[in-house]
Amino acid sequence: MIKLIIDNLRVEVPPGTRVIDAAEQAGIMIPRFCYHPALGAVGACRVCAVQVLEGSCRGIRMSCMIEAEEGMVISTTDEEAVAFRRQVIEWLMANHPHDCPVCDEGGQCLLQDMTVSGGHGRRRLPVKKRTHIDQHLGPLVVHEMNRCIQCYRCVRFYREYAGYTDLGVMGSAGRVYFGRRSDGVLESPFAGNLIDVCPTGVFTDRPSRFKGRYWDFERTPSVCIHCSLGCRVTVNTRYREVVRVEAAHDPQVNGWFICDRGRYGFPYASSPQRPRSARIDGRKSGVDEALDEAARRLSGIAQRHGSGSVALAASGRVCLETLGALTRFGSEKGWRGPFFRAGPRTAEALQSASKNLEEKISISLKDIEKSDFILLVGCDPVNEAPMLALSVRQARRRGAVVALADARSVQLPLDARRLALRPSQLTAALMRFAGKAVADGGAALSDRARGFLQACRDSRVDPAVDEQIDHLGLAARESRRPVVVCGTSAVAPDTPAAAANVARLLAAEGRKAGFFPVLPGANALALGLAGRTADHGAALREALEKGDVRALVVVETNLSELGFSADDPLLENLEALVVCDCLDSAAGRAARVFIPTQTVFEAGGTFVSAEARVREARPAFRGGTPVAQVSGGGHPPRTFSPDIPGADPLPAWQVLAALAREGTRVSADTLRKALPAPLCGAAPGKRLALPASAPDAFQPPEDPATAADGGLEVVVCEHIFGSEPLSRRAACLQELESAPRLGLHPGDAAALQLSAGQRVAVDCGRGVIEGEIEIVNEMARGVLLVPRLRGIDWHAAADGPLVVAVADIRSVKPNGES
Amino acid sequence: MLPENLKKELQDRIAAVDHPRELVVDVLFALQAHYGFVTDEAVEEAAGLLGMTPMEVDEVATFYTFVYRRPVGKYVIHVCDSVICWLEGGRSLQEYLSQKLSIAPGETTADGLFTLLPVCCIGYCDRAPAMLINKKVYGPLTPETIDQLLDELREAH
Repeated sequence: MIKLIIDNLRVEVPPGTRVIDAAEQAGIMIPRFCYHPALGAVGACRVCAVQVLEGSCRGIRMSCMIEAEEGMVISTTDEEAVAFRRQVIEWLMANHPHDCPVCDEGGQCLLQDMTVSGGHGRRRLPVKKRTHIDQHLGPLVVHEMNRCIQCYRCVRFYREYAGYTDLGVMGSAGRVYFGRRSDGVLESPFAGNLIDVCPTGVFTDRPSRFKGRYWDFERTPSVCIHCSLGCRVTVNTRYREVVRVEAAHDPQVNGWFICDRGRYGFPYASSPQRPRSARIDGRKSGVDEALDEAARRLSGIAQRHGSGSVALAASGRVCLETLGALTRFGSEKGWRGPFFRAGPRTAEALQSASKNLEEKISISLKDIEKSDFILLVGCDPVNEAPMLALSVRQARRRGAVVALADARSVQLPLDARRLALRPSQLTAALMRFAGKAVADGGAALSDRARGFLQACRDSRVDPAVDEQIDHLGLAARESRRPVVVCGTSAVAPDTPAAAANVARLLAAEGRKAGFFPVLPGANALALGLAGRTADHGAALREALEKGDVRALVVVETNLSELGFSADDPLLENLEALVVCDCLDSAAGRAARVFIPTQTVFEAGGTFVSAEARVREARPAFRGGTPVAQVSGGGHPPRTFSPDIPGADPLPAWQVLAALAREGTRVSADTLRKALPAPLCGAAPGKRLALPASAPDAFQPPEDPATAADGGLEVVVCEHIFGSEPLSRRAACLQELESAPRLGLHPGDAAALQLSAGQRVAVDCGRGVIEGEIEIVNEMARGVLLVPRLRGIDWHAAADGPLVVAVADIRSVKPNGES
Repeated sequence: MLPENLKKELQDRIAAVDHPRELVVDVLFALQAHYGFVTDEAVEEAAGLLGMTPMEVDEVATFYTFVYRRPVGKYVIHVCDSVICWLEGGRSLQEYLSQKLSIAPGETTADGLFTLLPVCCIGYCDRAPAMLINKKVYGPLTPETIDQLLDELREAH
């Protein structure tokens, strides 16, 4: 450790610490514009000047550019340093407009703070300010270039950190311009971070414009639930409405940033379509009445047909408390379920990912940034877990090798080695890779590990790709911190387990190897750990067909995720369909009894992220219809009543307790404790106590190579915008959705005599998927890509990847005729 | 569209160097010579030739004073506005040029002959006040020499 003195305080910091950071640790916040911990120092803005009194570089220095030295003495209050900083502010203000009262950054502006605290108030420069023409940058970010102070944070984030190229800096000297070559939507799905990194108001938030000032908002620490990473966010609310979501700093997970899905996915919570009152048989009712009625019907059905005739359905968006309620009341009442995922394949993939996460190989996003070899298997980071893409990019920037084995043409903001493989080939490919990546069996390996290694060495994929896989394996031999990242939707059911085993094998060799699963939904890991593999959508369908299940309770779940279509005839056969949700859905409209639930912003909740970190969202406001909707956009109503309009929704776990006739006064803590280990010990902010070793570690897959010949493997692809059930309701993100098209390899399209733009109908057994063909060059052969987007009935392939025969694909005319 | 022979010539030059992007300024000058100025299309063509993104090329193109991203006249007058020329009365020369040509700095005359662009130090302080016209240096300048020069250029046209 290095000892130095800053403003007469003794500070101890690790070697390599910058003076600006050392001061911050001591509680001294040196002004800064261009310096950002994630973006590094460039010394561009000159506002972090300090006086170095003792040290190798005495005099006025930029504290972001010098490292702490032993015995250094620094003064931030030195007269010369203060005068220097005041001068810098004055010249930065030379061109900055005095529009603070109408600027959306006002109150949240670093330049405003620095100008006021630096004491600059009188303009001495008798010339006109330079002005720029602003650009339209899309539905999320507003551009106002006149406010720019040339700190370069925006391009450093956008280009260097995030890896997108359409924003840049043009011109020179007094003409420097940050923007695109021409007006247009920013291409990066991380563009919202420009708003957070810009120290002035050049980039501001468009959706929250004119909805209030920074000081009007109530700010609540929360967690993003739009994917399985659990990024930390700050929720801003005003007048019973979520107005804005910002990134909150979490050094282990998201760092300083979040993706645009996480930032702009919230409008579902205040949607005018959001159901706010209970309904019984289509008639509006009070929530208590509906709960009573639902509980009465469920117990009646249980009495007539046995308690197993009531089933529960859940998805990765339920919180830990609701999952606890599902588990506890389900088992107390003898109800079936909770059923989750679409069928045996997706259920097994989720469970093999969840149950293989063990202490030694579990890693965080931060660990991924530090790894030197990353193998992404069946996972599309930008679309499935966006911030993972940024972590992988940081590793790549530090020189890591990144390889991608996937059926899709996965787009990453970095260069990666690609292996286009069908889902059914991934397990064998992973094993073959491991067989090459591990140099020799060595004495360090246990018998089981050696057995797995042997199976790896015997693994064959396809003569055409074996050589590429071998090259990759050899490239991984030297790595010290290899990581295997594995998804669950475009893989074979046993791929996640194989990925974990490969990481285990690399770790057993003495390396710091890691396994990182990418899961479907914010709480999917918990669902995978708590649920039973056999309780999946296809099993539910079978039980419904047989008449074993007469009543279904759907809790915060889209039935499409369980493989049901909106108007599935099986649902009509139910004696009772009880839906508890905060979203307006087809199932909700069809429900005999509907009970509105609160969103994460009102109820709060605990979620377990894919890296087994327990994340807590605190309630941000008490609920109720947004004032703007009650008042029709005008002045808040002048009539007064003791209750909040539209505040009927309850937390889902309370709804479940009421349905089980346990009363709604159940505590969230006891519900979490009802879950199986390790979930019952979940403490917010900590990681789950994972098992030291999974029970079936190093179990080779039963039949590793099962290539499907003569058919196409159908993969349902998640998109960053338009797939996830909550964020797809955000109007500002709907503008950014891709067109829904079915992807085919050029070779397959030629063999099937299909061309781009042609409409086809694909019979998936339980349903027909219809859409336009798109030719995708970089994807695997023998695969059909189905986007999970509006306009495509993807649920028929939800339990993917399933195989369709060529005969099941026929071309159709736009009007639906064959 | 770039003519095939120019495209081929540039491709050959690019193929001969280790790092294609080091030729970005040369390529931009070649395209400027062909189109008269660097058009949006030219930026994209340069990017394609050099394996860079159009944004990266535009960052270079907009940085340099002698790469023109907007149409210019037949004669581009770069009048020095740096300190030595300023001491020698360069400011009044710029004003004289503006008045004589009836254009403000950055503008082109209606007949498309002259574009007036102030430039930061051209390195001819010994001949201050100085200016460049189509890369040829003139100075020390007086209103009379400017009149004479402009007349000669008009006649040559």
